[in-house]
Amino acid sequence: MVKQNSRAVIFQERMNSGLEKLEQFAGEFPEVKEVWFATDFSMKDKKSLSTRIKENGVEKIIVAGRSPGELKSFVSASLADAGKNPEDLTLVSVNGTILSDGDLLSVFKAKILCAVKDVHFELASDSPGNEVNKKTLVIGAGIAGIQASLEIANAGIDVTLIEKTGTIGGHMAMFDKTFPTLDCAACILTPKMVEVGQHQNIELLTYSEVLDVSGEAGDYTVKVFKKTRRVDLATCIGCGDCTEKCPVNVPSEFDAGTTMRKAIYIPFPQAVPNKYILDGDNCTYVQKGKCGVCAKVCPVECIYLDDKDETIEIKVGNIVVATGFKTFDAEKVERFGYGKYPNVLTSLEFERLLNAAGPTGGSIVFRSKDKKGNGIFEANSDSPERIALIHCVGSRDENYNTHCSRVCCMYSLKMAHLVKEKLPDADVSEYYIDMRSFGKGYEEFYERIKKEGIDIIRGRTAKVEEKNGNLVLRSEDIEGMKLIEKEVDMVVLSVGLEPGEDSQKLAKSLNILTDDIGWFAELNSTNQTVNTVRGGIFVAGVCQGPKDIPDSVAQGSAAAARVIQSVINSKVKKGLSDLSYNDIETKVNELISTEE
Amino acid sequence: MSTVVNPDLNAKLVKFGNKSEWNECYHCGNCTAVCSLTENENLFPRKVIRQLQMGLKDKFNSNIDPWLCYYCGDCSETCPRDANPGEMMMSARRYLTSVYDWTGLSGLFFKSVPALIIAFVLVAVSIIGVGYAKQFNLESIMEFGHVFEKMLIFSVVVLILIPNIFHMFWLTIIKEKIKAPFLLYVKGIWDLFLHMFTQKKSLKCEKNTFRWFEHLLVVFGYILLLITTVFLNWFSTENTYIIWFGYIVGGLVFIITFDFILERVKKKKELSKFSHPSDWLFVIWLFLMGFTAFIVRILIDTDLISNNLWLYIVHLIVIAQWGILIVPFGKWTHFLYRSFAVYFANIKSAELNS
Repeated sequence: MVKQNSRAVIFQERMNSGLEKLEQFAGEFPEVKEVWFATDFSMKDKKSLSTRIKENGVEKIIVAGRSPGELKSFVSASLADAGKNPEDLTLVSVNGTILSDGDLLSVFKAKILCAVKDVHFELASDSPGNEVNKKTLVIGAGIAGIQASLEIANAGIDVTLIEKTGTIGGHMAMFDKTFPTLDCAACILTPKMVEVGQHQNIELLTYSEVLDVSGEAGDYTVKVFKKTRRVDLATCIGCGDCTEKCPVNVPSEFDAGTTMRKAIYIPFPQAVPNKYILDGDNCTYVQKGKCGVCAKVCPVECIYLDDKDETIEIKVGNIVVATGFKTFDAEKVERFGYGKYPNVLTSLEFERLLNAAGPTGGSIVFRSKDKKGNGIFEANSDSPERIALIHCVGSRDENYNTHCSRVCCMYSLKMAHLVKEKLPDADVSEYYIDMRSFGKGYEEFYERIKKEGIDIIRGRTAKVEEKNGNLVLRSEDIEGMKLIEKEVDMVVLSVGLEPGEDSQKLAKSLNILTDDIGWFAELNSTNQTVNTVRGGIFVAGVCQGPKDIPDSVAQGSAAAARVIQSVINSKVKKGLSDLSYNDIETKVNELISTEE
Repeated sequence: MSTVVNPDLNAKLVKFGNKSEWNECYHCGNCTAVCSLTENENLFPRKVIRQLQMGLKDKFNSNIDPWLCYYCGDCSETCPRDANPGEMMMSARRYLTSVYDWTGLSGLFFKSVPALIIAFVLVAVSIIGVGYAKQFNLESIMEFGHVFEKMLIFSVVVLILIPNIFHMFWLTIIKEKIKAPFLLYVKGIWDLFLHMFTQKKSLKCEKNTFRWFEHLLVVFGYILLLITTVFLNWFSTENTYIIWFGYIVGGLVFIITFDFILERVKKKKELSKFSHPSDWLFVIWLFLMGFTAFIVRILIDTDLISNNLWLYIVHLIVIAQWGILIVPFGKWTHFLYRSFAVYFANIKSAELNS
């Protein structure tokens, strides 16, 4: 039995976001004598706490907060100073990523209950688990979703893979090379895409979105909105006659707007499924009832112009969410002139220029205009001689996004290298705040690029202006202790990553949580990195937070491991949000009585 | 040469109004790059923040750069860390004012509001005391006021301003071992006065044109009001031209300063977002000076002044507080230090480039 009146609970700071009740709650246990706040103590002076410990006869301390570990050494030293056992302290993580949700109050209460009663939370919150439907749903078919699907399908488990666009592949399919090995991205991705397309355990639903999810761990019912492609996948032979005749031109999403596509189109030659899509929003027939030329020329009559969207329901046991990201809208930073000066590009546009399979066949050229005035890139245009890359556009900035997007430093270095490869005489400069080459082989890659004759300058660019037909950028060269006003021909903005358009909506239908920025929240950032608060729902890839391709692949595999584990055990553990405080309290009492 | 590091330097600056966020700076260089006034010879604000973070007190005290900033606010607006470099430069100017001031009163007044209030009350009581000694006789008080103004200007210039400028010169030029030929000093004199009266440099901050114009009008209005009241004896002259001239310049001063006060209340512009007590005092007292002078002269013209003696005494109190406290120790010194900073900086860069 725990002695009454012998413990103190220290909160890291005053609670907010509906968690204020925790403060009172903690004080109501007979075992708890004092509730303190770390902000009332001086971290430099252990006496400030140890005198309070002695005065109140406290034997054990529970530290609760976003990151209670920060207080560990201070509290431990104070306990020792007061003549108590320095190890008599328990840390309770009232985790920041799930702080914003009032529903989780009961979980945090349960955590404090366990700490006060000296019971491991993991033991008390362990549940026998639900029966599991073997079939698994993967949402999003970028590299993380593809990886997870293949891992699960290769274990003999049925997978339904849902993709919003007309093809799988995601952002990775748009890239030319991957860092730091400079492998060709398509050479890694395309075989995986083909494998997904042909896998007997994978059912692919492209052009589809999740509308709603109901049920519980192991038995979810998912409503899927299937947009019609208006092209029959089984009969389309991919001949392309329809595209040739289609009169509509719109910017190509796959090419990041660097070129135009038709209203009936195939996103790119290696698309999976390699069949045409009719984009109803831009089709003259669908919008105005006129035209329909594509259906007339189709040799196999596979185009159904009057097809309607449908909603279907599928039943699954586990769900892997891998919905990826969107890039920062560079037009928000007016000082860089994106949208105003034609040769200020986003990194995604530049990525398409560098790509041998891109609109220019890999030539780096100036933006030109088509007949209708759309800014596009054409292979026979002139090439720039001076190119500048600006890091951290929309990232690490209180005015836009405060987070580091993790990939921009490395992809910018990669781009600089590729420019040098294609235009050896080009003057290439990069402007960065801090060079974050943190991964395996990344620092070595950075060192290598530095030797390739690229000016890599520490100093954030403040503005880009047009003077006498040239782009002029202004930066401080911090290491060179001077101001830089540099004339260039082309500026590439290394835009950061943001949560996807519909991520909040999806989080709501899945009933999982997002963090302050909007990334899907993992349960615990160190040992439950793919779990969410709901049992049987896992996250992978950038939708959980910015990461590069190797990390996305790793997380895709990790999420798959959790799914496979539950199918093999035929049980899926309940999530934290499925447990009630009363259940845990009962379990705690059971555990205490068996101990005695 | 060894460099003394003073880790308390930043805490000191906070007392001069620096926002605590300044330490959020991660040295991206955005503020320097966005600044329209910085040059290779004078890189700011980032380098100033660096000196502050490292506690390089001697270097900081010898730094002219804070005076070359006219606070357009671009740096604070675009700072990715919300570290308010613009306000840091402003507090650096307050701090440097206290460093140059040999009496130590400047630092006291910037840091302590109670000290400031006591000083203001003391001055007011003394003026009322003078009135009492003169048995509240209008004519003799006005006579005293007139002599007092002249004496005040003379003593503030000789006892405080000139020695402080020499102190600034010693810190920023001599101590920095800048050995410029005498001719450079002579050549620069024109620039010195040009910048003193026009603040020409601030025009380079693009958004500042209107603000610059307002400021120019206030500077000229203030100087002309000074000349009209002190040397042309506005309050007792019979000359219609002088009387009207006085009305115009007096009106100019209080109307524009009223706008400055409004801006500080509205806090819309980066420049007027943060107001230190010294900023409030400066604009309000400038307003009061113009306004009370204007009213006093109206009362003289309408022959009502003998019934409203107290208003003249209020005017005299405002003048005395302005002349004894704000001019030598407060924000007024910007007028001098800014222009001398341009002067010294030009000499310094000419010397460094030669």
